[in-house]
Amino acid sequence: MDHDEAQVRMQEIQRIMERATLWTILPGTSAIIGGAMVLVGCLVSCLMFRSIDSPDFTLIDFASLLDLSLNAQIAFCVMWFLIGIGAIGAEIHFAQLQAKKQGIAPKGRSAKLAFFSLTPSVVVAMVLTVRFLVPVELHPREVQYIAPVWMMLYGTGVYTAGLFSVRAPRTLGMVFIAIGVASINFFQQYGVITTALSFGLLHIAFGLYVIRKRRAGLPR
Amino acid sequence: MKDSIKPDDLDPVIHERVRLAIVSALAVAAEMSFSEIKATLDLSDGNLSAHATSLQRAGYIEIAKTFKGRRPHTTMRLTRAGQKAFSDYVETLRRVIDKGK
Repeated sequence: MDHDEAQVRMQEIQRIMERATLWTILPGTSAIIGGAMVLVGCLVSCLMFRSIDSPDFTLIDFASLLDLSLNAQIAFCVMWFLIGIGAIGAEIHFAQLQAKKQGIAPKGRSAKLAFFSLTPSVVVAMVLTVRFLVPVELHPREVQYIAPVWMMLYGTGVYTAGLFSVRAPRTLGMVFIAIGVASINFFQQYGVITTALSFGLLHIAFGLYVIRKRRAGLPR
Repeated sequence: MKDSIKPDDLDPVIHERVRLAIVSALAVAAEMSFSEIKATLDLSDGNLSAHATSLQRAGYIEIAKTFKGRRPHTTMRLTRAGQKAFSDYVETLRRVIDKGK
């Protein structure tokens, strides 16, 4: 065996190990929990918007946020921030539990790859969110952009993380991007609905898929 | 070639591509089901079964056949001998790669 053949063999071993590792720590439960939290957030948002005494507002448009009192706006932002933190926390917690159960290092190479794939997208989404929310004179269109921007960037991160794993996360990422593109172009005023569909129901469906497939066999 | 190694230096059981792939997957998971390995490595039932049997005969993996409800459930895990054979193999590859640098 010469140098080149040894290198090819080594790369093959690494690829298989990464594929097996990321799959084995992919947690279905946290996707379901995260999705359920988002659905609750959407429901609470609708309830908050119901209190608005203005002819222009709608229950399913995040731009209705502009008609809330300052305190209610802050509460709204804090709620969604906590949902995000809670979902990420659940993801990390269950991934670690899964890794422990499988006898895998929870901070192994695959977990790091997934983390570093998602982080840039999330950071960019956060920067854009702040940029959209900070102006003193808020514009409805900018607020409406926040949810689709998160969908597209989160989808990009999940797709990239999925490059090192099985097909399921890549598909999830692409669906997120597709919903985000449709949402920013055609359904800006239906932000609560598209958020519930993507971050809520899609995550729950993905979690159930992972759990079901893990019992039956591995998704490609 | 100065960095080449003799065929005898490599474990012939693990050197075969499919068997190496099976052992690599099992090296990171304590246990994997037959269907998990099959899908991870894109193998057919017969191919996986034949190579898994070879690895079992060599004492590198343990195969457990149980039932989940009424359905048969086969799991595989690496034995100590299998772990050692795999790490020795990887070490040999590293040596060859390092020599070639």
